[in-house]
Amino acid sequence: MWRRPGESLVVGESIEIEVIEARPNRVKLGVVAPESVSIVRKETRIIRDENVTAAWSIDHSAIASLLRRFPH
Amino acid sequence: MSLDLMPRTQTKFFGAVDYDTDSVFHFPSGLPGFEDHRDFVFLHVPHSEPLMFLQSLSSRNLCFVLLPILVADPHYRLNLTPEELFELELPAGREPLIGEDILCATLICVAQGEVPTANLMAPVVVNLQKHIGMQVIHGDSGYTHQHPLLFEEPVLSCS
Repeated sequence: MWRRPGESLVVGESIEIEVIEARPNRVKLGVVAPESVSIVRKETRIIRDENVTAAWSIDHSAIASLLRRFPH
Repeated sequence: MSLDLMPRTQTKFFGAVDYDTDSVFHFPSGLPGFEDHRDFVFLHVPHSEPLMFLQSLSSRNLCFVLLPILVADPHYRLNLTPEELFELELPAGREPLIGEDILCATLICVAQGEVPTANLMAPVVVNLQKHIGMQVIHGDSGYTHQHPLLFEEPVLSCS
């Protein structure tokens, strides 16, 4: 699918994505969506999941094992 | 003589800990997944270098374990965008110096039975003067969010 600046595409009944500006290596998008739909960059979603894993994966024994890895 | 009492907080790993207000950092947007946690303290834990502990001041159960980014990757290059410099209230036009203007650290993840990993794609950066922090997400930096920490295990002597 090809779009020019000022053109849009529609996802389902209530989400609209518009190309606002196109540069050689990035584009600026505008999104219209219901308030209940969260819109984040994909890498933010990946980092959110990684943060949650990081927060809950470490316990005392993991810390002890990490400390053994580093001379201090 | 006045006795200055340090504030105290409950921590996830170390019980009640007194902390220095100089070690408190405000994260205006929290961290992805933990947006409600805005104030954190870097705990000073003896004999734990180079590990760092970023304890939430709003919940004792949230404490991230981090490493200085240059320990995880001595060749790491941080390139903050103008927007990130603005959000961190750092001067525009020059990259801040790690260790002088900013502290830059990477979150550690330890999945059971696997090599610990460091999130180099999204380091935590704090402005040491203004005490503002954020997790910057550099999806196009070439760094992975699961960088294996392959340090040598200590050799056990067998006699």
